[in-house]
Parts: sequence; structure tokens; C-alpha cells
Amino acid sequence: MMDAKSIVRRFSDTKTLPHVALRAARLVNEERATMHDFEEVIKLDPVLVARLLRLVNSPYFGLARKVESISKAVVFCGVKQLRNLVAVEALRSMFKGEDRRFSREQLWLHSATVAILAEMIAKRIFGLAGDEAFLAGIIHDVGLVAEDQVAGEELRLAADDLRLGKGSLIECERGRLGTDHCEVGLLLAQEWKLPTEVLKAIQFHHDPEKKFAIPSLSAIIVLADFMASKMQHNPVPGAPVPALPPSLARHVKGMMVNYKIIVRDLPAEMAKARELYHSDG
Amino acid sequence: MVDSGFDQIFADLIDELRPRELFLRALSDIVPGGGLLLLSPGGERLREGVVFELDSELEEELAAAVAAVAVPRQPSGPLPARRVAAGWLYAFAVPEFNAALFWWLPGKDDLGREPAGAALLVHALHYALRAEEREEEVAQEEQYRRQIEVLKRQHGELIEDNYRQYRINQEREQGYARNLEREIARQTAELREANARLEEISRHKSEFLANMSHELRTPMNAIIGFAELLADTPLNGEQDEYCRTIRQASASLLAQINDILDLAKIEAGKLELSPAPFNLDELLAGVTAIFALAVKAKGIDLSVHRDPDLPVQLLADSHRLHQVLLNLLGNAVKFTERGGVELRVERAGVGAAGGSLIPLRFVVRDSGIGIPASRLQAVFEKFTQADGSTTRRFGGTGLGLAISKQLVELMGGSIRVESREGLGSTFSFVISLAPAAQVAPDKAPRQPVPAATAPFPGGGRILLVEDNPVNRRLASLLIGKLGYAVVTAVDGVEGLKAMRENRFDLVLMDVQMPRMDGITATHRIRALENDPAARGQYVSLADRCSPLPIVGLTAHARKEDEESCYAAGMSAFLSKPIDRNKMAAILERLLAGQG
Repeated sequence: MMDAKSIVRRFSDTKTLPHVALRAARLVNEERATMHDFEEVIKLDPVLVARLLRLVNSPYFGLARKVESISKAVVFCGVKQLRNLVAVEALRSMFKGEDRRFSREQLWLHSATVAILAEMIAKRIFGLAGDEAFLAGIIHDVGLVAEDQVAGEELRLAADDLRLGKGSLIECERGRLGTDHCEVGLLLAQEWKLPTEVLKAIQFHHDPEKKFAIPSLSAIIVLADFMASKMQHNPVPGAPVPALPPSLARHVKGMMVNYKIIVRDLPAEMAKARELYHSDG
Repeated sequence: MVDSGFDQIFADLIDELRPRELFLRALSDIVPGGGLLLLSPGGERLREGVVFELDSELEEELAAAVAAVAVPRQPSGPLPARRVAAGWLYAFAVPEFNAALFWWLPGKDDLGREPAGAALLVHALHYALRAEEREEEVAQEEQYRRQIEVLKRQHGELIEDNYRQYRINQEREQGYARNLEREIARQTAELREANARLEEISRHKSEFLANMSHELRTPMNAIIGFAELLADTPLNGEQDEYCRTIRQASASLLAQINDILDLAKIEAGKLELSPAPFNLDELLAGVTAIFALAVKAKGIDLSVHRDPDLPVQLLADSHRLHQVLLNLLGNAVKFTERGGVELRVERAGVGAAGGSLIPLRFVVRDSGIGIPASRLQAVFEKFTQADGSTTRRFGGTGLGLAISKQLVELMGGSIRVESREGLGSTFSFVISLAPAAQVAPDKAPRQPVPAATAPFPGGGRILLVEDNPVNRRLASLLIGKLGYAVVTAVDGVEGLKAMRENRFDLVLMDVQMPRMDGITATHRIRALENDPAARGQYVSLADRCSPLPIVGLTAHARKEDEESCYAAGMSAFLSKPIDRNKMAAILERLLAGQG
């Protein structure tokens, strides 16, 4: 048994969000940061520069012209978008490893799906900017990666428990590990200085008691997580997907047609964003 | 990629009856007033509008009849209808829902009989069947609209953010510029301060040298004076040689002290020229005469050539010009062993347009050892000779050329040198001088006075006011030797007291003294002379019909010292160490006027 802090501490020892990603995330919150500062940070990692330019020029952004420098990318996409791309790049390498009982690669596909769904819901249903929804989506299950790294067997036992119907994922994790991936993920995201709304979304995305305000980033992530989990991209293959909290169920019921359209359009959006999450990039 | 469809994802939330309800509502919205009943095979009965029931026989018959007949695409004739109650009943198959629809419309007329009525009903049915599709299109349109709003907002934010960055970059650039300026200003200030400090140090050094020279001159005064007195006493051959050596060495030391003092004054910016009319030929003769003996002893020639067309009476600080020529000739003679030295003065081109100034070139050429090319410029630097060994071989402070260079520059010229090692050197300079009218010798009191060959025989009583006992003793001995009676006083107060009681024909007044200095004492004497009541109390002043001659004595040879003596009312001025001949001449001149 261990607590979230010790998992985070031991996880940080082995794998941490690269320096560049951390600084990029912080720059977003700095009022006096400019594209030059951003470029200064990013260009420390030439591989990252190349990958970012490829992503920026991918269909996901649909830019009319080709962008050839990071500072131009900031001009066309905004600092938040680039921050997200840096986070994607930093996280991608953490989600490696296929396993029958717990699959990090499935988790990566799941996270990418949640990120894109969350961005779609934010924009299409609520008319909100999708940057933070995307970031929260891609990172909401990072606690599972830390747990897998530090206590792989305990996590697998918890996954087995879940498949056997011994409780929710959170209950099973608590039973085997003494903590859960919401708590671990929250600590990590705090360490990475992510926005408060993103922290809350990570913290509460498995909380059935929570009364989610609608719209809110947390509500969007719970909904997107539910939808993605129903679509087979389940980090714990074969595990049942818990029902939506009642307030969200009411919301969906009232906007069925809208969600129908989102589900219909998702494959096209995923294809456009393929460059982002495709592991053989 | 996404294997699960919407129906699977939201299976729990999907309401299966909803599309049928949507259809019925849409239909009753278009054609209000009637009643609708939809029969599904599962037995569900959905209603909208006026509630009606058919008897089960008719319902079964109609349902079976319409089962195979869909709603036609276009109305192609009267629609089958039945008169039921106060209206008409129409029946359709709805394959989209696998259901049968009964539609009762009130009224006398069968709407379906007329082509227009039939078309209305058929089109209404088609329209209602597409209600769900339309709802989706509306939702789709709304989603597009929201996305466009988001994009517009993001666009605005991007533009704002880019503008913000532009402003920040601009501010940063201005900040860099300001920092740069501040840094430059700081460094400039530092340099200026350092420069001021250096100048201050240099000035202190020069002042120190000036004071130092003064301190050196006071004992020199005693050495030279007493050596001269010693020479006048009966001496044997050995003593005479020692005495001569002391006098030569002290004269040389005094010359060097004077050089240092001059340089210090020049560098402290305190040396000022005092131009006065002078005779060029006399100057040239005077300066060459000094080297007559040395030239003769070395067996070399010393010749002077003056351009005969030049005016002889000129205006300049002849003392300083004399000093420059003395230095140049001195070097030339010193470093020439064979051949000779030539001093040449000629007109150097035409003077400034319209001006009366005459450009004169002074040339001192020798056939001496010459100066290596690499050392040519260095010879004008202080404490430098052509090479270090010359100091040891030829002596000298190495200040002569440095002083000459500065003096020539002060006179508005510049000194040049050409030299070839082993063949000789040529120093030359050009200065522009104004011609002067002929002046009577007695109108130039500061011109060199012919040496007194014999002491004034007529006598005269002289009061010597001097605080330093050695100098007092020396001066009174010198005065006595010149044949005058001398009484001494130690300061201005004592001096005045002596004047009250005794008659004196002249006062030699030291300038710096404790209690009352020479300047103050002189002021007092001149004031007393102008006060008929007071002067009677002073024996020295009472009966005089002209001011009492007062000669200032000071070790400071500075021009301002001399000027302050005259300003206080002194008649003449002597610098210490006292030159016996100068004193003799001054005393003779001032006492000659006495009755």
C-alpha cells in the first residue's frame, strides 16, 4: 500500500514531463511571454521543433498556409494550442507498452479520443474554446501511467478486480494500491502547473457523487470519457463502463441529436488529428 | 476506428418512441384540428390531436388494407376515405415505422377527393416523416454556428495576443535602448571622473614639484651666497679650488631646479608669457656669449647668422626665447666634438594676411653625434635623452628639450628635429613676432642690467627685513660688501619700529614672514607716507620728498609673486637665491635717485 505522493515521487524519479514541456506550459500563464520566448524554449529540443511543425501543418489545424517556424506557429495557432502539442509530444512516449490486463497503448488511444471528443463537445455544444478541454482529455488518465510505472502488478490486480465486478475502477485501485489515478494525476498536474480547471477535471472525472456544473471542463471530460470508454478504447479491456451521472444523462437526453452528430463526425475528426496521437509518427 | 455507434453508446438514454412522436406532432402542426392514431405491430397506440377510436372490426380491416400500400410519392388521384362521425378518416401505411396511420379530419367535405386537398395531405405526411432529419439539420447548423463563433473569438484573441506580443517586443527594444544609453552614460561619466582624477593628480604633482623647488631654492640661496662670500676671502690654492667647485656645482644644481620648476609651472598651466620689446641681436649675442668658453675649450665653431632684412626690435617674452635658444645651443655644444654649431634666424615665408606679425625661423644645427631615427620623437619627452647612456656620459636632467618644446608651443610655434646619426642634428622652430618700436633701456626695468663692477661708493643706509637667520646673515654680508650700511629686522613689525627710530634710504623686504609679512608691511609704509600726520613719527619717512624705495625678496620666482610685490607698492623685486650682480644693480639704481 502506498499513497499518491509516494507514487508521484517515485514516478518523477524515472519519468517526468520533459523540461521543455514544463517551461512551455508555464509560459502560457505568463502575461509578458511572447512567441520569441516560446521559440527560445522549444528550440532547445530540435526533434520537438520538427514534430511540432509537422503537427501544426497537419489537417487538424487546417491552416491555409504552411508554417515554417515556431514563432509563426504561435502567431497562427496561439500559445495554448502549441502548449497542448508540446504536452502531447511529452506524454506520447509515456504511453508505451501493450498488456492483456492493462494496456498503455489502449490508454493512449483512449486519451486521444477523450481529448478530441472533449474539444468537439466544448466547441460544438457549448461554444467554448477547446484548448483546455483537449489538454484535460489527453492528460486525464496520466495517473494510471504513473501507477503502472511504480506499481504495475498492483494496478493489474486492480484491473482484474474491476473485470470481476468487484467495484468501480477507483474502488479497485484503492483496494490494491491505496490510492487512485485521479489523486495521482492531480498531483502530477499540479507539479506541471496546469490550469486550475484542468486540475479539477482530472480530480473529479471518476466522481459519481460530484454535481457537475454544466458547462464545465469537468463535465465535458466525464462525458467524453464515458463516450470513449463505450467505444472500446478502454485501458482496462473488458471492464464495464459505469453509467453517466444523472445530471449529465439529463443533459445528453435533451440534446440527443447534437451528440448523434458528434458521434457521426468523430471518425473524421480523429482522422484529421491522426498525426497527433499516431504512435508511429 | 470508432466501432461503436451512437445507439450503442447512449443505449440507456435512447427513447425508441421519440421519432414516432416527433412525426405525429409535426403532422398535427401542419394540419391542425384533426386526430392522429399510429398503430405499431407491437400494439403500441400513439395519438396526437383529437382523440378518436374506431370499432375494432373497422380498425383491423383498414390496417390490413393499408399494410401493403405506402404513402404515394405524389398524389395521383383521390385518396381512399371513409365517412366517420362528423368527418372523414384516411388510412396510410408508414413503413419507416412499420406502422399504420389513421388520420381523422372533421368536416363535411372529403379533402382527399380534390387534387389540391390530396396533395396537401400527402405532402404533409412526407414533411412530417422528415421531422427527425430536419431536427438533425438544425442541430448541425447550430453546431457549425457555435464553432464559427469559437473560431471568431479565438481569431480575435490571437490578434489581441499578437498585438500584445508586438507591444511587449517594442517595450523590450526600448528597454534595451534605454539600458544601452544608460550604460554608455555611466561609462562616459566614469571615464570623465577618472580623467578629472588624473588631471587632479597631475596638478597635485606639479604643485608638489613647484613647492619642492621652492623648498630647495631656500638652502641653495645660502650655499651660493656663502660660497661667493667665501671666494672673496683670502684663500690658498686648494681652498680656492674647493670653493670654485662648490660654486660651479651649486650653479648647476640651481639651473636644474629652475628647469623642474619651469616644467611644473607649464604643466600646471601656470606659466604665462610676458611679451615685451627686445633687441634680437642683443639676445643672440647674449645667448652665444655664454658658450664662448665651452666652444673654445672643445675647439669647435659657433656661428650666428641673422637675416639682415629682419627688424631687430621685436615684441616677445625674450626671457623665455633666451631659455629655448640656451637649451638648444647647450645641447648642440654638448654633443658636438668636431665641426661646429650654427644658430640661424631667418624669415619663414610671409606672415598672416594683413597682419604685422613676422614669422621667424630659428635653426640650431650641429655636426655632433646625431640622434637615432627611432629616438627622434622621444627626445622631447621628459627625463629622456637619445639613449639612456647619454645621461651618464653627458649629464643633464633631460628636461631642457621638453621645456623648450612646451615654451615654443606656448609661443604659438612647434619645434622640429632632423638628425642623422654621426652627422649631426638640426632643431628648428618658427614663431611669429610683432615688430616693436625702439625702446630706451631704462624704460625696460626688467632687462638684464650690466653687472656692477664696483660697489657704490657713496654709501647709504639699508634696512633688511628678513625672518630666516641664515638668509638675514647672508644678505647683510652681501649688502655690507657692496659698501652700504645695513640694519636688520626679523619681521614687518620690527621693521616698522626700526623705521620709526632711524633713517633708512632703502628697505629690502622679505615677502614671507611671521607676524607681519612683507606685503602688509609695504602697504603700511605706503599708507604712512600718504598721511602727513603719521609720517612725521617715522624718522625714515618724515623728511623724504619721494617714496621710500622698497625691494621685495622672495624665493618664489613665480610671475604672480612678482606682480603682488609691485601691487603692494614695492619699487623692485629680487628673487632668492640673491644674485649679487642683480642686487648691486638694483641698489645702485634706486639709491642713485636719492639726494
